[in-house]
Amino acid sequence: MKKKINLKSKVVEIVSLVALAILAVTYLVMMGDRLSPYMLQTLLNQTIITAVVSTGAVFIYTTGAFDISLGSAVAVSAISGAMVYNKTESLFLMFLTMIAVGLLIELIDSALAAFLNLPVFVTTIAMLSVLSALVKIMIASGGGAKIEVPRAVVKTLDSVGLKVLILVVFIGLCIFIYNYTALGRREKFLGGNPICAKLTGISVKKLSILAFLIAGVGVGLAAFLTVVRAPTITTSTASSIGMDVIIAIVFGGMPASGGARSKISAALVGSVSMVLLSQIMVILNFSAGISQCVKSILFLAVVTLSGLKGRKAMLTR
Amino acid sequence: MKTGKSSIAKRLLGICTIPAGTILIFYIICAFRGIAFFETSNHVLIFFRSVATVTLTTFALSINLDSGRFDFSLGSIALLASVVGSTITLNYGLPPAAMLVITLIAGIVLGAFSGLLYVLLKLPALITSLGVTLLYESLVSIISGSGVSFGTQPELTQFSKGIPNMILVIVIALAFMYIVMNYTKFGFHYAALKDGQKVAVDTGIKEVGNAIGCYAIAGAMMGMVGYINATLTGTIQASLDFGSIGAMFVAFLPMFIGGFIGRFSENHFGMVLGAVTYAAIQLGFVRLGLSSEVQSLVSALVLVGFLIYLNNEHTLAALFTGKKKGGA
Repeated sequence: MKKKINLKSKVVEIVSLVALAILAVTYLVMMGDRLSPYMLQTLLNQTIITAVVSTGAVFIYTTGAFDISLGSAVAVSAISGAMVYNKTESLFLMFLTMIAVGLLIELIDSALAAFLNLPVFVTTIAMLSVLSALVKIMIASGGGAKIEVPRAVVKTLDSVGLKVLILVVFIGLCIFIYNYTALGRREKFLGGNPICAKLTGISVKKLSILAFLIAGVGVGLAAFLTVVRAPTITTSTASSIGMDVIIAIVFGGMPASGGARSKISAALVGSVSMVLLSQIMVILNFSAGISQCVKSILFLAVVTLSGLKGRKAMLTR
Repeated sequence: MKTGKSSIAKRLLGICTIPAGTILIFYIICAFRGIAFFETSNHVLIFFRSVATVTLTTFALSINLDSGRFDFSLGSIALLASVVGSTITLNYGLPPAAMLVITLIAGIVLGAFSGLLYVLLKLPALITSLGVTLLYESLVSIISGSGVSFGTQPELTQFSKGIPNMILVIVIALAFMYIVMNYTKFGFHYAALKDGQKVAVDTGIKEVGNAIGCYAIAGAMMGMVGYINATLTGTIQASLDFGSIGAMFVAFLPMFIGGFIGRFSENHFGMVLGAVTYAAIQLGFVRLGLSSEVQSLVSALVLVGFLIYLNNEHTLAALFTGKKKGGA
């Protein structure tokens, strides 16, 4: 009996990985001979931005909070960096600006919540409106409907090697912080039991700000990757990332309430799964509506199975 | 103990300051710019329509959010309910009243289904609502393609063009929420569950039924929002990839203003006044010719500013009066 329970619990733990494996096999079988380096590069391009933002965002989700404004934050960072490049013609300064703006936005977000006692979800919703408006204002200030960095300049950076390097280094760093430092352990403790964490002397404010700052680095890196991939920035650039991140993280097996069961891998597993699912829908020639319908059903199914272990008698809020 | 007139005056002040103050400020700014706040009857209509849709959305958002259930699916319910209502009405050549009834019923069913999924899957409401949003948006696209258009049938687009209709919607919605939440068993159970879930469940209150009921009410409100929006232009635009979630963002400021005014009055009445404030701000921005970007920027800043006040009012009061926190 105990063995049975343990087996069920193990299966529940790896539901997201099983879903990813099934999606990957389905994709490979459907692609067959058509699978080419170009197709894999397309997959990487579609995965990497969401994966980078999601990986940073895991720190926020671990504390039991969430940030809906990450997509707009990526857009503002990307535009700021592009503007700096157009003034200075320095790619290095462009990169630094993107990271700095990403950090600044997340710092404002977290400081508002931490020092002015605002509910995090409302802060990020207000931030979403502010940043979306800023995107439009900044683009309009350029006198047109877009801001761009010359394609020839970023073309040299648009390589698989650099993108994989950025992804691997960032995820590696996050895994190290998350699993092998006091910061990561405290983040999980805070998400699992905020009252207890506070009573043991953990600084909730400091931890929240650090979580948002790590997400800010992800935002900056994603902004850089966005410009490298598509150097023309419009009002719709990165607009869907905010929600994609939530979907990816949850699909990847992250509990919405954060805590000890949180894991960095959820970001990558979820991001890759979502891209594979979209590609399978494209191969099957499904319309956008049917694709989204399948996505929603699969999302609810996987998340329900993943959540079986943490079910409570009362309704979860 | 303060009695009589001073207490009533204080309550009146608490109730009226924010909405009346906002309208007054915009009246003055407009007057300085040589513009009338309500120049034509169309401005009055825009104002009341805004109050109606924002009131309904605020009721829909708050009924679940006050109980800790974050619901992203409100916009998608409005969208799908209006698509179902208009499609059936157009296909069967039904009268406008039928479209209203069908849209409302569709909203209730969609809301209840969302609640049913929440209680069956036992996932956090936020997660369930993400899945539901994706599902409902996809159904809109599957049913209607890129959307529904009935602009060529003027009888179907009359409802949202009448000021009395909008006032009627506000009054009925307020009366419904006021009675249900303050004078029914459902409302008492809701309040008990909201303030102490475990204790309420332990005393035998049926949490599941109450939660589904809340979702159904939210669905009804959003069905009505969908109907008003659809009859405004005669077109319903399909929306995918969470494009519908923006519809709920208008409700945050009125909800928090409602919570503040609720200290001096009834909570739902406060939310209507919050919606009045929001509608006044929006109309004021339009009359002053501010761009939509500046409008959303200022609206968000007003929301943040108000929340900063609400969450720090004791500290602020202590700061201005010189009293120390926790002093005897």
